Amino acid sequence: MTAVLDKQADERPAPKKPSPWAAPPRPVWEEEPSRAGLASKGLVLGIACLAILFPLWVVIVTSLQSKKTIDEAGGLVVIPKGITFVAYQELLSGGQVQRAALVSIGVTVVGTLFSMTVSVLCAYGLSRSGSLGHRWILMTLLATMFFGAGLIPTYLLVQALGLTDTYLALILPSAVSVFNILVLRSFFMGISQELIDSARIDGAGDWRILWKIVMPLSRAVLAVIALFYAVGYWSAWFNASIYLTDQDMMPLQNVMIQLVQKQERPVGLAAQVNTGQLSSLALQMAVMVMALLPVAVLSPFVQKHFRKGMLTGAVKG
Amino acid sequence: MTPNSATSAPSRRSFLASTAVAAAAVAGGAPLLSACGGSQSGSKDGTTSGKDAAKILPAYVASTVVAPDIPAKNGSAAGFSKAIPTADLKTSVTKKLGSGGRLRIMSPFWGTPPKGDNPYYKAMNEAIGVDVTWQNQDGVTYDEKLGAVLASSEIPDVVVVPGWNLNGKIPGAINAKFADLGPYLSGDKVRDYPNLAAVPTEAWQRGIFGGQLRAIPFPAPYVTDIAPLYRKDLFDKKGYSVPTSPDDFLSWAKEATDARSKVWACDDMKWTAFNVFGVLSGSDKALWWNMDGGKLVNRIETEEYLEALEWTRKLYAAKVVHPDAVSGKAGGNAGNRLTSGQVLVYSQNISDWWGKTAEQRTQNPDFEIAAFDFFGPDGGDPKLWAVQPANIFTFITKTASEQQIKDFLAVCNFCAAPYGTKEFMLTAYGVEGTHYETEKGLPVKTTQGVNEVNGAFDYTGNPAPYIAYPDFPDVTRGMVEWQQRMGAFTTKSSFFGLTVTEPNRWANLADSFEQLEDDVVRGRKKISDMQQAVSDWKSKGGDELRDWYKKLLDDTGSAN
Amino acid sequence: MSHNTVPRSAGEAKNPARTPAASGDGDGEGERKGTRARSRDPKRAGRLSLRLRFRRDRTLLLMALPAVLLLLVFNYIPILGNVVAFQEYDPYLSENGFVAIFQSPWVGFEQFERIFADSAFWHAVQNTFVLFFLQLVLFFPVPILLALLINSVVRPRVRAIAQAVMYLPHFFSWVLVVTVFMQIFGGAGIIAQTLRQHGIEGFDLMTNPDTFKYLVTAETIWKDAGWGIIVFLAALSSVSDDLYEAAAMDGAGRWRRLWHITLPALRPVIALLLVLRVGDALTVGFEQLLLQRQAVGVDASDVLDTYVWWNGIRNQDFSYAAAAGLIKGVVGLALVLTANKVAHLMGEQGVYKK
Repeated sequence: MTAVLDKQADERPAPKKPSPWAAPPRPVWEEEPSRAGLASKGLVLGIACLAILFPLWVVIVTSLQSKKTIDEAGGLVVIPKGITFVAYQELLSGGQVQRAALVSIGVTVVGTLFSMTVSVLCAYGLSRSGSLGHRWILMTLLATMFFGAGLIPTYLLVQALGLTDTYLALILPSAVSVFNILVLRSFFMGISQELIDSARIDGAGDWRILWKIVMPLSRAVLAVIALFYAVGYWSAWFNASIYLTDQDMMPLQNVMIQLVQKQERPVGLAAQVNTGQLSSLALQMAVMVMALLPVAVLSPFVQKHFRKGMLTGAVKG
Repeated sequence: MTPNSATSAPSRRSFLASTAVAAAAVAGGAPLLSACGGSQSGSKDGTTSGKDAAKILPAYVASTVVAPDIPAKNGSAAGFSKAIPTADLKTSVTKKLGSGGRLRIMSPFWGTPPKGDNPYYKAMNEAIGVDVTWQNQDGVTYDEKLGAVLASSEIPDVVVVPGWNLNGKIPGAINAKFADLGPYLSGDKVRDYPNLAAVPTEAWQRGIFGGQLRAIPFPAPYVTDIAPLYRKDLFDKKGYSVPTSPDDFLSWAKEATDARSKVWACDDMKWTAFNVFGVLSGSDKALWWNMDGGKLVNRIETEEYLEALEWTRKLYAAKVVHPDAVSGKAGGNAGNRLTSGQVLVYSQNISDWWGKTAEQRTQNPDFEIAAFDFFGPDGGDPKLWAVQPANIFTFITKTASEQQIKDFLAVCNFCAAPYGTKEFMLTAYGVEGTHYETEKGLPVKTTQGVNEVNGAFDYTGNPAPYIAYPDFPDVTRGMVEWQQRMGAFTTKSSFFGLTVTEPNRWANLADSFEQLEDDVVRGRKKISDMQQAVSDWKSKGGDELRDWYKKLLDDTGSAN
Repeated sequence: MSHNTVPRSAGEAKNPARTPAASGDGDGEGERKGTRARSRDPKRAGRLSLRLRFRRDRTLLLMALPAVLLLLVFNYIPILGNVVAFQEYDPYLSENGFVAIFQSPWVGFEQFERIFADSAFWHAVQNTFVLFFLQLVLFFPVPILLALLINSVVRPRVRAIAQAVMYLPHFFSWVLVVTVFMQIFGGAGIIAQTLRQHGIEGFDLMTNPDTFKYLVTAETIWKDAGWGIIVFLAALSSVSDDLYEAAAMDGAGRWRRLWHITLPALRPVIALLLVLRVGDALTVGFEQLLLQRQAVGVDASDVLDTYVWWNGIRNQDFSYAAAAGLIKGVVGLALVLTANKVAHLMGEQGVYKK
């Protein structure tokens, strides 16, 4: 069905691409926006963005300042005085950050694929009301959201399974998020039953229905959940700090945390901090800036799947 | 809302990463160490001293390798302010003691540990004759991991435990899981390890856990490690003289504070206040108690305690304390406020005297800080209480073979080499030419040295307390002399030097006092609330705990 | 319907009382007719239909299996460790912490009594609920409104930028969020210093215990509201343009279309998130509150999670922590079931269908 729509879209005469800054032509049925409406919309968005961008500015500026400037300001710097990339040089010098970044990317990619597979299957398996045992399974899942286990039993289990000092320890214990499964399931259940029924009449089994109908119609939510998982794996560090002992296996977050912690202590600082060229605060802010990188990478990806009206007609209203 | 469960668990822990709690003030591998918290409970409670202790303590054989140019006095560290040329370095380990066996060591680490097979580790292993592999753990969350590792059946061969991680049931775990070193070290047996034999007896005394000598201690001066550090350069510029009494401090602080130009007189001064008013040390649970007129008194019951809080409260009320200090941990780093000149005085571990100077001098040659002497409540001599003479401990597991224990002691003996020896230089600076160069007679670490020689062998053996900054002889001298002056006013309380394991049921009795102190000094709670809390504490078990400690003292005697 | 006990596994989850008629609601109609015809004996009806239902749904069960297995291994087995809540557990009694469970003394409900007798616990509970309601009222609607706002922006580039900017704060750590707030609203912050230049002293939002709950809520909104829009945007992207067009043809204006088409499309997601949020009411920020504990004092900042951390984890009082965790879990589960029930009454699907 979407394929048909896409085709139609392709056939629409589009001689030149409109600027992405410009508003696309409005459908005929939509009324022109009022000036007041546009203005207030812009104002709210502007304020919201400003409230976010100002602190971000401070963080970026501070990461680019010399120790002297930061000491004079006694903390975060609002107005820059010159620019130095010492903090970033420090972060990127030495193979450790690079190696850790590779580890993080690997764990994130593999982990997200694994989590998505397990979660999508589970969400679809539970999405048909009235199927055998689905309520009991749901309760089983739900209960895990409320009852946590202590650190010691979890550690002993992971150790007993022989997962300590393996990357599996970073993936398996946190592979399933019940929250994500519930969100997926809720979207799956919103898909038009008639579509699924008609596919079934055509002889399609559940695997085919999931692959051919449900998943293509759920691209937006799949993107969102994949993003949740990816961000989760990317920013996780606790499992690594508990289950890994080999420094060479540590993911990026752990290395970053270790770098940031240098802030407090005089001995054991990296060269630049030790000789006073680099403020530990700048280093910390540089780490923060690096932590924002996933947004830059992921945003367009999500954006792609959020096109308005992409699934025209496919979902019951 | 945290949609992904994978993120929620880590994010709650990253608090630990960001605020280094008590450990922060302590870490860094500087020779002076201490912390809040302290030993609490365990299955084998009590302590060992007197005759029982004498039977298991190692003999003391002072080191004569290099005489310090500022000898230790009044419980201070020894000061070494002169660099020693490579050619003049002595040898303290004449024979390679290691058997070539392997040892896995789990240790807290502050900062970024180097790669496992780096040249520094190789050189150390080669020199000691033991193949050490490290499991360095983040020092800030160390206690969480420690609890889990000790509960598993696969404990690393050697485990380092800081005193401030001896919470809850950890002391019990230590008694259950770690080996008795007595058969290898007690009495004259320690002479096989001459550098360990030079470790002061009072530090060894702290290594007795559950009646047996289990720990290699990290010796520390017993003079309080919290010093009121002030910006001497700014004091001189403004013509301020150093305050000499609590009232004097308050009036000076009002004069020096200029909030409009972002200058406040001081940061949080609670720890200074405790020393000024002669409050019993808070650095170790057992030190909270002292025999006074035939009765054991706890620090929280004393007039001095309330007076110290009241004075600190006055500072906050007078708005001479930096507003970010009011916010505590959330307010960021007090050290940054001092170096930026936003505060002029702050209470900190004395190691900052050197740390901040070394950090700031490279850009600001005029930067100068110093610690002023504690004064008494009326401006006279202060009454100070000693802190524990060792507060970081290293253990070897019970399942270790005799050979492994001997290898462990070989590592400790090597690392305990005093200043002026080849072993010390290798442990603290690495290999000359690779990890450090000699410039103008001073050893200066290279980048590789900074990255590799940064704390791994810090806790596996240490000599008697020392301060050695040949690059800042004035600072070295200032620190040692401050300790000596303060040491003259320092008294050892009843349980000084003892490692006391409190019974489980009272282990958490006094947990809320630190928070209450913070509330009182910031004016959110009244002194009367504190008095109420103290009387609650008494009725909930404080008085029973007093009897327990009294009995302990009667049965085993103090270590003094 | 009471589901306070947790079923052991999906396979054992039989419910013989359930008749085939009760379970049939819409799909697989043709298949089931045959089933009904065959199950004549009322006693065997349940089992027979169970087998047939199993055959019908086995693919679905197979699909759910991996996730269920993972949860059983990595969540349920360690959760069994919570029995130590009824013990005075000492993990070091034995070679191994698991074995030590069998050697630790049983103390019944003593840990729970200790918790309930502690006035600080009730204080923490009170703070928790106050913060929860405040966040429910002030935080929860923000992502929905922002999502609607962004969804109404038609220029692709503006939309993309606004969206990306909104996600950013989620990637800031709490330390940084608190630091930034401090630099702006603290006693030495930008606002306070500006006011000082004009002779106004004493501005400091960061250390005022009375307004602390609003501060915490504001910090939470700043950090996570933008990230929260993402699910709603996904829901909005599935709304068909045809619907809007049809409504517009019928003369519905902008606001009526919002009310009659957009909001109903969001309702299932809103209901789901609301139910889950209510179930999670006892979790209202941990790191954030621990960080600011000294700034406003324990009375204003202690919530259930921080209480458990201080009294249980930090002091290695495992049994106490486990007991507090169990209380939290039971209350959370009860809340989510209640909220789900309410959602059903309001005609929403909630977490699972009735």
